[in-house]
Amino acid sequence: MRVRLFAGLREAMGWSEQMVRAAAPATPLAVWHQLDLDGAWRAATGAPPEATPAGVPLPAGVRVAINQRFAPADTPLVDGDELAFLPPISGG
Amino acid sequence: MAPTASVSVSLHADPIGPLLLLEQWQQQVAPTPAETPAATCLFIGRVRGTTATGQPLDALELEHYPGMTEAQLQRLAIDCARRHPVAAVMVRHRMGLVLAGDAIVVVAVLADRRGAAQRCCQELLEALKQEAPFWKREWSSGVGEWVLGNTPLMPPDCESG
Repeated sequence: MRVRLFAGLREAMGWSEQMVRAAAPATPLAVWHQLDLDGAWRAATGAPPEATPAGVPLPAGVRVAINQRFAPADTPLVDGDELAFLPPISGG
Repeated sequence: MAPTASVSVSLHADPIGPLLLLEQWQQQVAPTPAETPAATCLFIGRVRGTTATGQPLDALELEHYPGMTEAQLQRLAIDCARRHPVAAVMVRHRMGLVLAGDAIVVVAVLADRRGAAQRCCQELLEALKQEAPFWKREWSSGVGEWVLGNTPLMPPDCESG
């Protein structure tokens, strides 16, 4: 599946999108840990370095979009999905 | 159940003139005075001249999620128009580099009554601040800082924009 990052998260990781083969059964939360996004995000925001344990929600304000719609972090992913991790948004 | 409202949403890479956009949109949705609903509510949000930490702001960089952002603005506008008896809703949002003082967002609502127009306008503005995928980076003295989240609607900073 295609994984996309935006804004501060994209810069913390140094990439904006890549194709990822997720381990089944895949969820956004599992991919978050598989790609080690947690450590990069914590470093970028100055949050404590302890990793978010697997199975707990994403860091505060970070949201998930699947196929360009907001979705819960435990939504089952299927092949071909476009998964995006969205750091805290600020429109308007 | 109110009849379906007209909804118009767009993103703009270049500076926008809010009153010109309002005029153009009104002419599209209500070409003659007889067709124009009695109440129009307009909100213009401009980029503040200072950063969150009080430094002089040179510009605001606005990143979005191409495709999702437009679709989400459209969904939010349609949802809001369904909750209120309004005739038409317009959202114009900047993207890219926006200078201090420039308009960043324009929301306008036409309705038969002022209450519906104002409530829909305020609700939609709050919804797009919380639910539209945009990311702001404040540029000051050559340094850019991503803004993490929004200011609250109420004091201490009761200005919105």
